[in-house]
Amino acid sequence: MDISVLFFGVLAEITGTSRKHYRDIKSFGDLKERIRDDFPEFVHYNFRIAVNNKLVNEDPLLSPGDTVAYLPPFAGG
Amino acid sequence: MHLINGPVTPGVISEIVAKGGENQECGAHSLFLGQVRRDQVDGKFVRAIEYSVYEEMVIPEADKIFKSIMSEFDDVKTIEIIHSKGLVKAGEISLLVMVSAGHRDHASKACAKAVELIKKKLPIWKKEIFEDKSGQWRGNE
Repeated sequence: MDISVLFFGVLAEITGTSRKHYRDIKSFGDLKERIRDDFPEFVHYNFRIAVNNKLVNEDPLLSPGDTVAYLPPFAGG
Repeated sequence: MHLINGPVTPGVISEIVAKGGENQECGAHSLFLGQVRRDQVDGKFVRAIEYSVYEEMVIPEADKIFKSIMSEFDDVKTIEIIHSKGLVKAGEISLLVMVSAGHRDHASKACAKAVELIKKKLPIWKKEIFEDKSGQWRGNE
């Protein structure tokens, strides 16, 4: 399935983009591995995951066309 | 909740305060203004903060904050939140929260609680920009 991935804060700076599309994704675990291969530096950072603008736990079920966001710790205010 | 490009200006602040007067059931408005601080880090001064926001998520998360405050403090009538995105210089305002209530007790407690929730729950990030134009991402301690 096709998945859009959004990156924010320091993670957007590492990737050099705020959005990237991934094709032929089988599961969230599969997506996680692809992102880890593309951006090995991510291992040094804390982040949470949102799917379609909602925070999710460790291993969410993905559907075609979903948007997955990588969110570093929030720092508003 | 509103996002604005750049600082929350004195003009915007006075508009919000004036709007508070429209609700004549209220006897108290508690106003919080968050300002960009000219911190010194490793001998360099912060010149500005660059805010980035996950806009599709920030509005529903702010709605959850409104609901949580309204259910905890039953005297609260309205809550206004304005947060900056983009560049805000040291000394400028990046966050406004105004809570209007029947009486001062709930107004001030609810305002403090709203600010805590905004810092914890809203998907917003800040990068400190120093006078030499270098930068560093910063979390909320």
